[in-house]
Amino acid sequence: MNKISDENVDVNALKLKKGDLVKEVEDLCGENLFGCYQCGTCSAGCPFVEDMDLSPDEVIRYVILDKKEVLNSKTIWLCAACYTCAERCPRDINITKIMEALRQIILRKNIDRTNLTDIPMEEKGSIPQLAFVCLFRKNVG
Amino acid sequence: MRKEYGYGKYDNVITALQFERLLSSFGPTEGKVSRPSDGKKPKSIGWIQCVGSRSEQLGFPYCSRVCCMYATKEASIAKEANPDIDITIYYMDIRAYGKDFQQYYDHAKDLGVKYIRGRPSSVYENPDESITIKYKDTLTGKIEESTVDMLVLSTAIMPNKDNKRLGEALGVDVDENGFFKQDSLLTDPIQSTRDGIFLAGCIQGPKDIPDSVSMASGAAAKAVAPIKDREKHIGKEFPPERDVTNEKPKIGVFVCHCGKNVANYLDVEKVTEDAKKLPNVEYADHMMFVCSEDSCKKIKEMIQEKGLNRIIVAACSPRTHGGLFQDTLMEAGLNKYLFEMANIRNHCSWVHSDDWNAATDKAIKLVSASVAKARHLESLTEEEFSIYPSTLIIGGGVSGMKAALALAKMGIKSIIIEKESKLGGRLRHLHSMFPSDMKSEEIIDPLIKEITKNKLITVMLDSELEDLEGYIGNYKGKIKQKEMKKEIEFGTIIVATGFREIDLKGKYQYGKNKNIVSQTELETKLKNNDLKKPKNVVFINCAGAMDEERPYCCRVGCGVSIKNAKLLSQKFPKAKTYLLYRDMRVFGKEEEEYYSDVLKNYHVITIRYPGDKKPEVVLDKNNPKDGPVTIKVYDDLLKEEMTIPADLVALTVNTEGGAETEKLKNMLKVPVDAAGFFIETHAKIKPLDFSTSGIYMCGAAHYPKNLVDSIAQAEGAASRASIPISQEKMKGEGIVSEVNEDLCRGCGTCESACAYSAIEMKPHPRDPTRLVAEVNRALCKGCGSCAAACLNSAIEQKGYKSKQINVMITALIEQGAAK
Ligand SMILES: Cc1cc2nc3c(=O)[nH]c(=O)nc-3n(C[C@H](O)[C@H](O)[C@H](O)COP(=O)(O)OP(=O)(O)OC[C@H]3O[C@@H](n4cnc5c(N)ncnc54)[C@H](O)[C@@H]3O)c2cc1C
Ligand code: SF4
Ligand code: SF4
Ligand code: SF4
Ligand code: SF4
Ligand code: SF4
Repeated sequence: MNKISDENVDVNALKLKKGDLVKEVEDLCGENLFGCYQCGTCSAGCPFVEDMDLSPDEVIRYVILDKKEVLNSKTIWLCAACYTCAERCPRDINITKIMEALRQIILRKNIDRTNLTDIPMEEKGSIPQLAFVCLFRKNVG
Repeated sequence: MRKEYGYGKYDNVITALQFERLLSSFGPTEGKVSRPSDGKKPKSIGWIQCVGSRSEQLGFPYCSRVCCMYATKEASIAKEANPDIDITIYYMDIRAYGKDFQQYYDHAKDLGVKYIRGRPSSVYENPDESITIKYKDTLTGKIEESTVDMLVLSTAIMPNKDNKRLGEALGVDVDENGFFKQDSLLTDPIQSTRDGIFLAGCIQGPKDIPDSVSMASGAAAKAVAPIKDREKHIGKEFPPERDVTNEKPKIGVFVCHCGKNVANYLDVEKVTEDAKKLPNVEYADHMMFVCSEDSCKKIKEMIQEKGLNRIIVAACSPRTHGGLFQDTLMEAGLNKYLFEMANIRNHCSWVHSDDWNAATDKAIKLVSASVAKARHLESLTEEEFSIYPSTLIIGGGVSGMKAALALAKMGIKSIIIEKESKLGGRLRHLHSMFPSDMKSEEIIDPLIKEITKNKLITVMLDSELEDLEGYIGNYKGKIKQKEMKKEIEFGTIIVATGFREIDLKGKYQYGKNKNIVSQTELETKLKNNDLKKPKNVVFINCAGAMDEERPYCCRVGCGVSIKNAKLLSQKFPKAKTYLLYRDMRVFGKEEEEYYSDVLKNYHVITIRYPGDKKPEVVLDKNNPKDGPVTIKVYDDLLKEEMTIPADLVALTVNTEGGAETEKLKNMLKVPVDAAGFFIETHAKIKPLDFSTSGIYMCGAAHYPKNLVDSIAQAEGAASRASIPISQEKMKGEGIVSEVNEDLCRGCGTCESACAYSAIEMKPHPRDPTRLVAEVNRALCKGCGSCAAACLNSAIEQKGYKSKQINVMITALIEQGAAK
């Protein structure tokens, strides 16, 4: 069963070798993902988990298992960096940083599908300003 | 404590210890489960495991070792008493590692206790004071909320806050968590960092009752060594016994108020007055506390003054206080068996606390029954027998060797018999030991050296016990050493025969491909540098464990697999390592920390698989014997089938008792469980003793266990085995059974009824053609089973003869009829 339906990012274009994903993530965020006990605490407390295709603990498991499709998961973009998960993780894993690292992998390759001109005017009016700020922040890293 | 679980904020969130108090009949609710907020019976209860344990932030890094099982126990008790309560336990791994633990856990599931794998994120209180838990069920993948009337937290076991100060005062080191440090975890777990100071139980790290009791016995052995230099303890001296055979019964009855315990619930005055009216009662009185020194003095005075020759105390339980009163009798020159106790507290004032008349009436009946029996009481003698001052240790693994050394330190001789040609047991085949990676030869070589040097220890290699006769204190054994036969004598026996990996009978393709090995084989290969460089290594835990055939957990397998994953990763850093497991059961001191370090440092990929979907090993069609294999495993967390190529598969094979267990069991006449492990007298309070006096067990012969626990048990068993030996002489029970040889028809029914192997069929002394039962007074515990079993009424149990019991029954009936 494939939980991720999007294919925004061509993972092959990222030229990640076998096993590189976890290394890259760990280098970027300084967290050791293998310390995760897959207990689900992070996911149960995440305010946006309902809308995510992968729950935060699944994101970690995907990275460990070198499942590169994680880079197409909605989750990493839905994460609001609220740190609830990091605060409650018994294993002291900063999931928030891991989400950021995954975004960085994509952004550093200059893959960004958001085109401001594609968004119709009326939608621009209803999207909260904060969303735009976040969007731009993701670009500056 | 983690704030998100609401402890201290919400009334209906309590700790597991508080829940224990709710279950206790002496607790605030007298055993009725009720919510703190309104005292109502909860319709649902939840447990959250590992609260503060296994935590790298806001908690402790270690596993608290006992909470999985106590939560299971608490849930089972609550469920059994109230099947309508809905019970759920939220966990990460259920650590049901000990003897019968897994079966107990399975039983709880059968009772209807629900287990959900997921550590809740937070809880909140509802207007009706129920608690809603937010969690992810990691086995279904669903994020859920569930509301319970009451929430119990299995909180971490913490060392005492004062440990640092105490450690400083004693001059011993305390570890970073606050537990006392041992000199060396893998070789001397009981020894603290300072000579002369020893550790027992949870001061060293969390542990359950049997492991604490074993360790405590071991610590006692170390603390009294060497007793050979000390003066022997001499028991109390009593005046000579008065011969009462020809005296007519003169009975004294002493009724106890037990403070208010008895006197507030029944009429002690009336009980006393009624006793006075009974035939042969010479004297009766009631006292505030019969067990007080003054009262005992009074009893002695009355024995002298009135010439009393039978004493009855109507009070509490003979189990707790009988001995004290018997001493009083002996001090007054009476045989201690001329004593009876009527338990009018437990059986009257406690159970009928709401009915003064009924309680009084029953107390009167019990006293009159005791008086009826007392008329027929006789003086009994206790047999004294000598003890041969040496211990036989069967098995020369770490446990056997450690036991021998502990005995030697106490000045006691021992003989180790080992069936192999070398000492060391399983460790001879292992590479190094978790959790401190000490090489196995660094552990056994110094032990072997020490043993060889020690004059008190005799080692017999290539030897097996062929025949055994005798009983505690006086055993004779025939030992077969290669072609030779030897006869030796000893007073006590320690069984330390260890364990072995089970025969997988081809499961997981074991035996069909050379790249599929057991953990022991893997370690031997590692030790001998006999491994090809692998690319993908797969460990499969619980091979042949926790299934229908063998419902138990192997206790050491998880630790072993992690250790070997580490060893392989160190040797072959490029290899990918997968660890397939069901529950990760690393519970001992420093084990959880070891586990998480290995995962982090070596990037071992763990895959949890469900018990009903075992991993499958597929051989290569073209090269089944030597080629690589494929592992198919169902990832329980992602809910997907995974296929892993592997060129090395290590199976964590379940274990069972040694090969000779069956033979030993028959020779020693001791019980063995279905898995071939020896069965102790009592799982909690007598983990090292067999029910037959004089025989003890330790190490993996009792159940698979790691070195720390094996050594603690070994030193504990040495302590147990030294007790009879250091007494030189022992006294048996006075209350033993007695065979009437003329009535006995030699059927042997009693022999099989006796749990203590105290009866044997022997030729009749006058008519050797006929077999009759013979009771060994040294072994008989006076339980009465044989007397009850004998179809010919040929056995009487002293102190409880049929006549004595019959007059009691008659007295009870007559008293009832008189009403
Ligand atoms: C694969 C594996 C890896 C392990 N790794 C670790 C680890 O890393 N850390 C750790 O703490 N623990 C580890 N253990 C556990 C460790 O092996 C045990 O704690 C230890 O071996 C127990 O010692 P023992 O003396 O009780 O039993 P054993 O070592 O089994 O010794 C029993 C001895 O009795 C002898 N014997 C048996 N029957 C008779 C008889 N009838 N007459 C005479 N002699 C007899 C046997 O030949 C043997 O020498 C591991 C276990 C296994 C299976
Ligand atoms: S809370 Fe921490 S340990 Fe638990 S699943 Fe999330 S990251 Fe892993
Ligand atoms: S930081 Fe992101 S993943 Fe973590 S709880 Fe907040 S939104 Fe969820
Ligand atoms: S895993 Fe360890 S700490 Fe957690 S509940 Fe079980 S015994 Fe306690
Ligand atoms: S490997 Fe052994 S110790 Fe671990 S869970 Fe399985 S049976 Fe228990
Ligand atoms: S009284 Fe009990 S212990 Fe004694 S011989 Fe009879 S059955 Fe055995």
